[in-house]
Amino acid sequence: MENTFDYDIVTNNPSVKDKYENIIFVDGGFKDVLFKVRDLVHNGAELINHPLGASIRMFFSPYRSIIIREKSEGNSEINKEYYINTIENSIENYNKQMENRNPDVVNSEDYSLIDENLLESAIGEFKRMQN
Amino acid sequence: MRLEQRRIHIKDIQLGNETSVKSGVLTVNKEELISKLKEDKKIKDVKLDVARPGEKTRIIPVKDVIEPRVKIEGDGNGFPGVSTKMAQLGDGKVNILYGAAIVTVGDIVGFQEGVVDMWGEGAKWTPFSSTYNLVVDIIPVEGLKPHDHEAAVRLAGLRAAEYVGEAGRDVEPDEVKVYEMGSHVEEAKKYPNLPKVAYVEMLISQGLLHDGYIYGVNSQLILPTLLHPNEELDGAVISGNCVAACDKITTYQHQNNSSILDLYEQHGKTINFLGVILTPELTTLEGKFRTCDYTTKLCMNLGADGVIVSEEGYGNPDSDLLMICKKLEDNGIKTVLITDECSGRDGMSQPLADTTKEAVAVVSTGNVSHVVKLPPADKVIGNDKAIATLAGGWEGALEEDGSLQCELNAVIGATSEIGYHNLTVKLY
Repeated sequence: MENTFDYDIVTNNPSVKDKYENIIFVDGGFKDVLFKVRDLVHNGAELINHPLGASIRMFFSPYRSIIIREKSEGNSEINKEYYINTIENSIENYNKQMENRNPDVVNSEDYSLIDENLLESAIGEFKRMQN
Repeated sequence: MRLEQRRIHIKDIQLGNETSVKSGVLTVNKEELISKLKEDKKIKDVKLDVARPGEKTRIIPVKDVIEPRVKIEGDGNGFPGVSTKMAQLGDGKVNILYGAAIVTVGDIVGFQEGVVDMWGEGAKWTPFSSTYNLVVDIIPVEGLKPHDHEAAVRLAGLRAAEYVGEAGRDVEPDEVKVYEMGSHVEEAKKYPNLPKVAYVEMLISQGLLHDGYIYGVNSQLILPTLLHPNEELDGAVISGNCVAACDKITTYQHQNNSSILDLYEQHGKTINFLGVILTPELTTLEGKFRTCDYTTKLCMNLGADGVIVSEEGYGNPDSDLLMICKKLEDNGIKTVLITDECSGRDGMSQPLADTTKEAVAVVSTGNVSHVVKLPPADKVIGNDKAIATLAGGWEGALEEDGSLQCELNAVIGATSEIGYHNLTVKLY
């Protein structure tokens, strides 16, 4: 298992759960992952990657993995407010997009794979900045 | 830099035993192209087909669209750093098979959509219903990892475009366009009183099926970078993105970037066009902050009075778009945004995933949630299973007569955020 250093991954993706340590596993949908991240961010966690994907298609994913850092030191009030706004806006947007749609469960396996790959890229990006 | 684009008007594509252009008809040697593409050991088989404007043909799932060209003078034939040796692009003469396109199909994952209808209602929404399309369907060897599969399909499209483009090498063009621009110092001397305008083109840069490449460099790895506009028009920017069908920028659209062409058109008349800043849309928030700061710094260093920013995708890139807008405006640079809207089926919801009060000049390229009804096709090129994905989003999407209802987000190039598409606004 990959050591995830000083961050946690909030995910509902079973293949991510098996791959990394420091998992906060959510037994539920994309929306439940967003809710869990919201709770953590309101309690002072730092949002490392953006909660939403980069296209409409990714809203229909049954899986999502979001990186956070719990009780990170050095977060200014401005940053905290930014994280809170970002996760709250993301939830609002998710609800808006899914009003008439259902998660695309037929293609669950592929979404799981893409989520895992995008998470890997996000961790890579994060590490390139921190090291 | 001086780039001469020499357009050979293509009026049909035929599959045959030679590769040539005669009287505007492009003939492609089917067996030779297939065997060339199969030199890549990751590719098991290749199917070639032609889709012409007006035919009741549906192409799905489209991965990329590429314009076939050949460089007849100057460095850099093909796509340097990706499919050919490194070279400086932007200078010379290029022969273009204008009106023809290579369309790659490859279902790397099951949920890809990306539909191009060549006739009827669907044709209205995609710019690639009016090109003669050579469709290249790539079947990979079994057990290929998704990254390798994506790369194989991406490279096969580029190689096919190079192979087909070669047919235009000795053909006299029907039309010649010249794009010429000197250094910033030279242009400022020529047009001292015109406002200086830079173009910021944002690229999704987030991983598998969400990548762009500049001279072969994955844009995830770059700081925002400055290009002479000719470099992009000459093939420096490649699409590796295939999840945002309506608003992803295909390679063809980079080669013919409407924002660049329109700014070029105004250069020396109403503005002094400073060039293109390619800006990655990263996934981490720290990355987004850095990109925003760096993009703004480049614009300020260039002395830009105004900046046009175009987005790619929807969702987290909206944060980049508005952050960059705010920072530019805060620094006194007038900023215009080009983006599509995700404003619900009735068009009444908030269009973007983020807001800022500084975004006061925004060009909308269409509502991705708009629902269209596509009738059944006589012929499907690609994977007809993908149609189920297209139609499977909500109850009642697939009707008894085989028509399907889908949102515009499934249609290739329907709401292009660089403006290379069919939608427009009319003032009454």
